[in-house]
Amino acid sequence: MNPIVKRMLGSSLARALAHPSSVDDYLALIDDRLSLAEPRGRVVHAVRQTPDSVTLAIEPNSNWRGHHAGQHVLVGLTLDGARHSRCFSIASAPDEPLIEITVKRNGAGRVSNYLVDQAQRGQLLYLSPAEGDFCPRSQAPAKALLLSAGSGITPVMSVLRTWLSHGASTDIVFLHYARAPVDMIYADELEALAAEHARLQSITVFTGAGGARLDAAALDAQVPDLAERETWLCGPAGFMDTAETLIAARSSAPLHREQFAASRRASAHGQGAVQFLKSDIAASGEHGSLLEIAEDAGLSPPYGCRMGICHACKCHIAEGTVRDLRTDRVRQVRDTDLQLCIHAAAGDVAIDF
Amino acid sequence: MSKPTHLSEADLTAFGQALDQIRDDVMSDLGERDARYILRVLRTQRASEVAGRALLFAGLLPPAWLAGTSLLALSKILENMEIGHNVMHGQWDWMNDPALDSATYEWDNTCPSAQWKHSHNYVHHTFTNIVDLDRDLGYTLLRVSEDQAWEPRFLAQPGIALLLAAFFQWGVALHDLEFERLGRDKSWKDMRAQAGQILAKVRGQLLKDYLLFPTLAGPLFAPVLAGNLSANFTRNIWSFLIIFCGHFTDEVEMYDRAEATDESRGQWYLRQLLGSSNLTGSVPFHVLSGHLSYQIEHHLFPDMPSHRYREIAPRVQALCAEYGINYNTGSLARQAGGVARRILRMSLPGRRRRRVTNTAADFAEAA
Repeated sequence: MNPIVKRMLGSSLARALAHPSSVDDYLALIDDRLSLAEPRGRVVHAVRQTPDSVTLAIEPNSNWRGHHAGQHVLVGLTLDGARHSRCFSIASAPDEPLIEITVKRNGAGRVSNYLVDQAQRGQLLYLSPAEGDFCPRSQAPAKALLLSAGSGITPVMSVLRTWLSHGASTDIVFLHYARAPVDMIYADELEALAAEHARLQSITVFTGAGGARLDAAALDAQVPDLAERETWLCGPAGFMDTAETLIAARSSAPLHREQFAASRRASAHGQGAVQFLKSDIAASGEHGSLLEIAEDAGLSPPYGCRMGICHACKCHIAEGTVRDLRTDRVRQVRDTDLQLCIHAAAGDVAIDF
Repeated sequence: MSKPTHLSEADLTAFGQALDQIRDDVMSDLGERDARYILRVLRTQRASEVAGRALLFAGLLPPAWLAGTSLLALSKILENMEIGHNVMHGQWDWMNDPALDSATYEWDNTCPSAQWKHSHNYVHHTFTNIVDLDRDLGYTLLRVSEDQAWEPRFLAQPGIALLLAAFFQWGVALHDLEFERLGRDKSWKDMRAQAGQILAKVRGQLLKDYLLFPTLAGPLFAPVLAGNLSANFTRNIWSFLIIFCGHFTDEVEMYDRAEATDESRGQWYLRQLLGSSNLTGSVPFHVLSGHLSYQIEHHLFPDMPSHRYREIAPRVQALCAEYGINYNTGSLARQAGGVARRILRMSLPGRRRRRVTNTAADFAEAA
């Protein structure tokens, strides 16, 4: 949107004329992508690099404030009339005009499966501002290890692209674990980049059909100078835990974990009773996060990442005792907004839902 | 027909389960089609508002003024009835669309949404037609049931009803203040806080309709102001008419506290059903009434997307026939006549001679 038009539409006069609706409500008459403050975008390219993934290039509107390498974005779309949001790592470098995300098929995941199967040019997507931090420093180190597994490659890709686009002279080992060649996204691009940049060494390990796993011997063989390298790490929780232990034993250089996948929990236990005030439903707080308890009770609060990063499931808690599943910290709350997905009941909880 | 006395407790249980089934059938089927419907209504409403205000700016020409005022009135009616009222009931929350979220929606009316959700969604929908509990019964201004004690002031109520119709949104805005509770279980402090919210909302509404848009029209200040006044007035009359026809027709039942104590699910459904009355008409008429022409279905399932009432009404009516329960419906003219008769009749003294009803005691007696 033209900045002058945007300023006029954002003025207090325009807001008073639109009262009690918002100016956005009227802009929607012209185009769904128009908004004074909300970042939204449209798919410009949908490329299917592997049979069960899609890489989307999204053209954001002028409310998109950019991102840092390794950050993620909450992507919302409408399915069967209802809006759903999910979190995806951004794979593009910060100064590229389009936002790139790669979506992998995910079991019964409606949003990812829909995008993999159906996303096409022109699809409207609701976006959040970029969130999370993975690569807060813009300065690349002298030597780095980029270590990823599965779809953990996307935020690491963003880091790599950022450095290369800035002409950094970092000595990089990009070590990626994929199930099989057919599952590997960015294979062609990595190969091309490695051919072009002498200081980039790309190693891919295939783990499927009895292939190698990450272990001490493999790591020592592939990255002999690990002690000199700063590491950026992303992948499934088990992979990251293994990698972190191995690296900590070999190097004292900083290790950057993409928390995205790492904060997944195996299970959540609670105690007490959960009362959903507006729905007038009471449930036991014993099994699952507050989000899962709500869903088991037949309610459907909004959610996104289900791991505490997107804030889509934030809900008003009238009062109660809750446990933060990331830190295990128990606290009393009253009149507070909490993310339901990463809190369990640690006593009675009354939720305004 | 009056309150049924022929239904056993088992009948009422089965009746309630049959209604639950209707609800489940619809709620598990919500999707694309429903979203398309409400988004189309929303677009129509916004487009007619923009077009109406634009035409009013050419308001020196009588046809433009008339068309502009009509479109603006249409927009305000759609917004209050089919969009605002139903959104605030949470009918569209399942869409997760911020523009249709019951928690944040603010409607084009002097009554703040939060207060409306209390006085309407909670008080009126829970205590439907229970004298002394449902404050929508006569809006604490009118006597609409024999169970309300007569006072001389009710002699003036035909006139008061007409005034309420003309200024309906103001009546609604002041409704949740509950003046009559002041000094009893309501403090001046709570009252002032509420009044502050109302004032803020009123300021926004007045500023937009009676100052900013007329001023922007420059020399056409007066026609634009008159157009906005007329649109608000039309919306007031219309919503008053639809809402009064929903609960105060001739055949509608009123309850006292004793009758509505310890209700089963089936009894609750029955009270909602007998306390409401429908209007027959065309599809556009139903849309303009916010589907409150299906007041019965709305009171049975207040959070069901409104356009589905049209689809389930035959099932509800058949169920009523099966159980021998009155299904109160008729044309707007007929039902409005009933409302007028009731308001006139209740303006004069007279108490109801009450017969047995479906209370727990009756069941015990019948068994």
